[in-house]
Amino acid sequence: MASSSSPSSSSSHLPSRGCLLFLLFLLLCVQLGESQKKKENLLAEKVEQLMEWSSRRSVVRMNGDKFRRFVKAPPRNYSVIVMFTALQPQRQCSVCRQANEEYQVLANSWRYSSAFSNKLFFTIVDYDEGADVFQQLNMNSAPTFMHFPPKGKPKRADTFDLQRIGFAAEQLAKWIADRTDVHIRVFRPPNYSGTIALALLVSLVGGLLYLRRNNLEFIYNKTGWAMAALCVVFAMTSGQMWNHIRGPPYAHKNPQNGQVSYIHGSSQAQFVAESHIILLLNAAITMGMVLLNEAATSKGDVGKRRIICLVGLGLVVFFFSFLLSIFRSKYHGYPYSFLIK
Amino acid sequence: MAEHSAPDQKHKPGAASASSSSSSNSAAGSQALVNSRSSSSATATGAGPPTGGLSGGLSQPAGWQSLLSFTILFLAWLAGFSSRLFAVIRFESIIHEFDPWFNYRSTHHLASHGFYEFLNWFDERAWYPLGRIVGGTVYPGLMVTAGLIHWILNMLNITVHIRDVCVFLAPVFSGLTSISTFLLTRELWNQGAGLLAACFIAIVPGYISRSVAGSFDNEGIAIFALQFTYYLWVKSVKTGSVFWTICCCLSYFYMVSAWGGYVFIINLIPLHVFVLLLMQRYSRRVYIAYSTFYIVGLILSMQIPFVGFQPIRTSEHMAAAGVFALLQAYAFLQYMRDRLTKQEFQTLFFLGISLAAGVVFLSVIYLTYTGYIAPWSGRFYSLWDTGYAKIHIPIIASVSEHQPTTWVSFFFDLHILVCTFPAGLWFCIKNINDERVFVALYAISAVYFAGVMVRLMLTLTPVVCMLSAIAFSNVFEHYLGDDMKRENPPIEDSSDEDDKRNPGNLYDKAGKVRKHISEQEKTEEGLGPNIKSIVTMLMLMLLMMFAVHCTWVTSNAYSSPSVVLASYNHDGTRNILDDFREAYYWLRQNTDEHARVMSWWDYGYQIAGMANRTTLVDNNTWNNSHIALVGKAMSSNETAAYEIMRSLDVDYVLIIFGGVIGYSGDDINKFLWMVRIAEGEHPKDIRESDYFTPQGEFRVDKAGSPTLLNCLMYKMSYYRFGEMQLDFRTPPGFDRTRNAEIGNKDIKFKHLEEAFTSEHWLVRIYKVKKLDNRETLEHKPRLTNILPKQKYLSKKTAKRKRGYIKNKLILKKGKRPNRKTV
Repeated sequence: MASSSSPSSSSSHLPSRGCLLFLLFLLLCVQLGESQKKKENLLAEKVEQLMEWSSRRSVVRMNGDKFRRFVKAPPRNYSVIVMFTALQPQRQCSVCRQANEEYQVLANSWRYSSAFSNKLFFTIVDYDEGADVFQQLNMNSAPTFMHFPPKGKPKRADTFDLQRIGFAAEQLAKWIADRTDVHIRVFRPPNYSGTIALALLVSLVGGLLYLRRNNLEFIYNKTGWAMAALCVVFAMTSGQMWNHIRGPPYAHKNPQNGQVSYIHGSSQAQFVAESHIILLLNAAITMGMVLLNEAATSKGDVGKRRIICLVGLGLVVFFFSFLLSIFRSKYHGYPYSFLIK
Repeated sequence: MAEHSAPDQKHKPGAASASSSSSSNSAAGSQALVNSRSSSSATATGAGPPTGGLSGGLSQPAGWQSLLSFTILFLAWLAGFSSRLFAVIRFESIIHEFDPWFNYRSTHHLASHGFYEFLNWFDERAWYPLGRIVGGTVYPGLMVTAGLIHWILNMLNITVHIRDVCVFLAPVFSGLTSISTFLLTRELWNQGAGLLAACFIAIVPGYISRSVAGSFDNEGIAIFALQFTYYLWVKSVKTGSVFWTICCCLSYFYMVSAWGGYVFIINLIPLHVFVLLLMQRYSRRVYIAYSTFYIVGLILSMQIPFVGFQPIRTSEHMAAAGVFALLQAYAFLQYMRDRLTKQEFQTLFFLGISLAAGVVFLSVIYLTYTGYIAPWSGRFYSLWDTGYAKIHIPIIASVSEHQPTTWVSFFFDLHILVCTFPAGLWFCIKNINDERVFVALYAISAVYFAGVMVRLMLTLTPVVCMLSAIAFSNVFEHYLGDDMKRENPPIEDSSDEDDKRNPGNLYDKAGKVRKHISEQEKTEEGLGPNIKSIVTMLMLMLLMMFAVHCTWVTSNAYSSPSVVLASYNHDGTRNILDDFREAYYWLRQNTDEHARVMSWWDYGYQIAGMANRTTLVDNNTWNNSHIALVGKAMSSNETAAYEIMRSLDVDYVLIIFGGVIGYSGDDINKFLWMVRIAEGEHPKDIRESDYFTPQGEFRVDKAGSPTLLNCLMYKMSYYRFGEMQLDFRTPPGFDRTRNAEIGNKDIKFKHLEEAFTSEHWLVRIYKVKKLDNRETLEHKPRLTNILPKQKYLSKKTAKRKRGYIKNKLILKKGKRPNRKTV
């Protein structure tokens, strides 16, 4: 504006064509300036509005109109991260809910971080509120994370690769840092449930000990300790740690014929259900061995002991051959089997 | 021991049959040698029971017993040794895989240059341009052991090559392992269980996987050291004698010198002591054993250059120090209790305990924060927080040995033992005493670690063998000895020394088993011979299946050298694919002695060992940024890669390509890890998502991402592959490993040239060209002297320029002065 005002004062007296030209230029300038001004006003208004919303809630909910106005419409100097999702219960999108939780964690850590500024906003578009947006962007899966840069259209890399990276807040933060140069340190609200459960357990055990302080014999109960040790052993040998780290599905349901398979076909992987079965089989075999010993050493009725012995033997032999057959079905090319094919 | 003798002898056939059937099965692998052994073992066991029977050996039962034990241990050793020879018989006496090549190379250095030269060895052939101080960064136990054996043999004028010593070291040590397992199990339970355990560990695949002939690795001797240390520890806790403890320390020293897994010992033994304190099983024996062990073991372990001051400066070792302090405090308080009244003692006790705990805790925290004690190392930390490595350390996560264990792996490596060892644990806890506390802790911690990492199956295997042996021996003890109507007068005097020492201790009834026998005697007729024989038969059958399984697994899964590959035709004839050695030998013969070879780190040791050329990175993954640089070079385009290779002075690039024969362990399949590791260090230049299709797939065909199709690794792998038609049914350039037709068939190099490709294209070597003398231009050179192509030039050009006269004066029109302003 300042640049356009100085020539106008000096050249106002100029008659004829040059003057007209100048006038035209001036007009143009003013108009441009005005539109600039208008634009800036609009921008300031938009930023203010967004700031107000995001100060109220860390994630701004948007419908179609708002989306077009604040995210698509051009005068912007801020980045917007949009999560397209379907959170309505009737949509039955459980992934969306998990993704939403992570997204909220991320948005909150941005909202309450010291670096919080008006350069980045977190918004959400629900399918049931802005179906037209979904159509407009040609989007047919939810949840989807997109980044709308301050200038230009979103590129390919502005869509978060959900399939590969997953939607952990840390990964999202890394992606955002990559796209916008805004580094967000994800701060998870500490999960108190684990602590509370532990505290409850400790206090329960403590209380139990206190109540039975006159009779602490059960601490010396070897059966209890042996049970606990065996539980750890069974959990580990049946691959619960693998489940914990890899997070496999419980079982696999074939989408074509609806058959549920509990045993994974490959030896490199397993289902949760499968590991439970193995746990039971291992426990049964161990119990068989213990019963065999019990039958031989315990005092008592001979017939009963014979039955115990046979039961123990049956447990060992039958369940071991069962285990072997499961192993055989998983480990292709394994030649040996016992009783059961 | 006499009361044990009969059941021992009775169930020895079970044990021996396990070993003999294993060897007879390995004999199926066309080993005449082993065949004769198995027949001899059969005769030995066949002759065993009658001669070992009480009628014959009543005069000297102990003599027969020890002879039989000796025979069985010897046969176990033999069975273990011979079942580890598959690879040698099928291929040749060759060092396997990757790490063993480095061990072999340094052993060779040791044998040819002497011990001190080895300790001071600076290897300029590795990690170019950094080099590696080998003497200070290896556990020297393995090399020294092999070098010593070689030296002794040569002293005796038995001339063997150092390579043969290295190849056969692990099988020989497996025999020592089974003996130390026998000793340990005998301390824990009885001799029969010990013999069974020795037979189990001789042939169990979980241990064979690391100790086949040719696998010249630390673990091969370390498991022996581990078991022997534990045996001596249990012995010293039982006796409380300084002699056994010093022996334990020496064995621990050997373990420290051999393997990084010594951390397991230095944490398990303090844990044992701590739990003994908690269980109020403190005794002077424990005090003497642990105090001596900690001090002497600490000092000895610090003598290894690679370990150095770690035992007092890292968190992994702090538990041992803490328990040491606690034990001193506890002993002091015990001493004070005799001097003080009860009231005084109680106040002192609480004061002392809380003070000691507080001081220890605070000082550890203080030292950690001030940096005197290093916090947990990443590898160690990933054992506890299982997701840690996946997020933070891709180089750890990329190693397949560091993956968690499925139940299939457990079953594959341990077969029936994995199902029965909980029973042994059960018996141990039910009849607990000091040393059984130890084995229970050993089992639980080892099973946890094995669940987290496949690799640590190795530490689980010995304890599984011991506990399974206890379970089986328990069963056989009751069911195999049906027709023993014998007098048992000398029961009492043969009880454990431990029993005599503290007769008042309720839980120390190691002789409970004996009690059962005497009980059983009253009701012995109860179960009847039929049931007993059925049980025995089936149990023996299970053990036989175990032996068969072990041999099958050893032969099929663990006996491949992986340096030489074999493929089988339809008619059963065998093709040997010797591409690796072919290529390495080419490098050795045809390149400059100081040529630098760039490859992914997996092949570093092999290049150094077989080709004797300088490498940039190798399997000792100590420098992540260097590896990331190589990964970046592999995953950038050729121009960018050339920059990196120039800066690293690379002369040759070696890659493994399996597309022709369908070898799945090639570099394209490992490629994503290269990208990931490179991305970790250079996130601006390399981005993993660039190497995927928009659908998130990793494909090498036309649909693959352009970044992938133009990166150096892709180009080197598929250079001229598009011209090759492997089969009439498939198009040219069909990759058999990934079952896809490659997407970029027109590959041209600017800075590289193909130097060598092995017979089956498994190894491809490229030469990096030097910079040109004159730099060629990217664009067309600008033409300065334009000669008109047409002879006649029309004057009527579009702009209709007129001619001009040189130095013609040009009239510039002035502006009219503005009168009004003047």
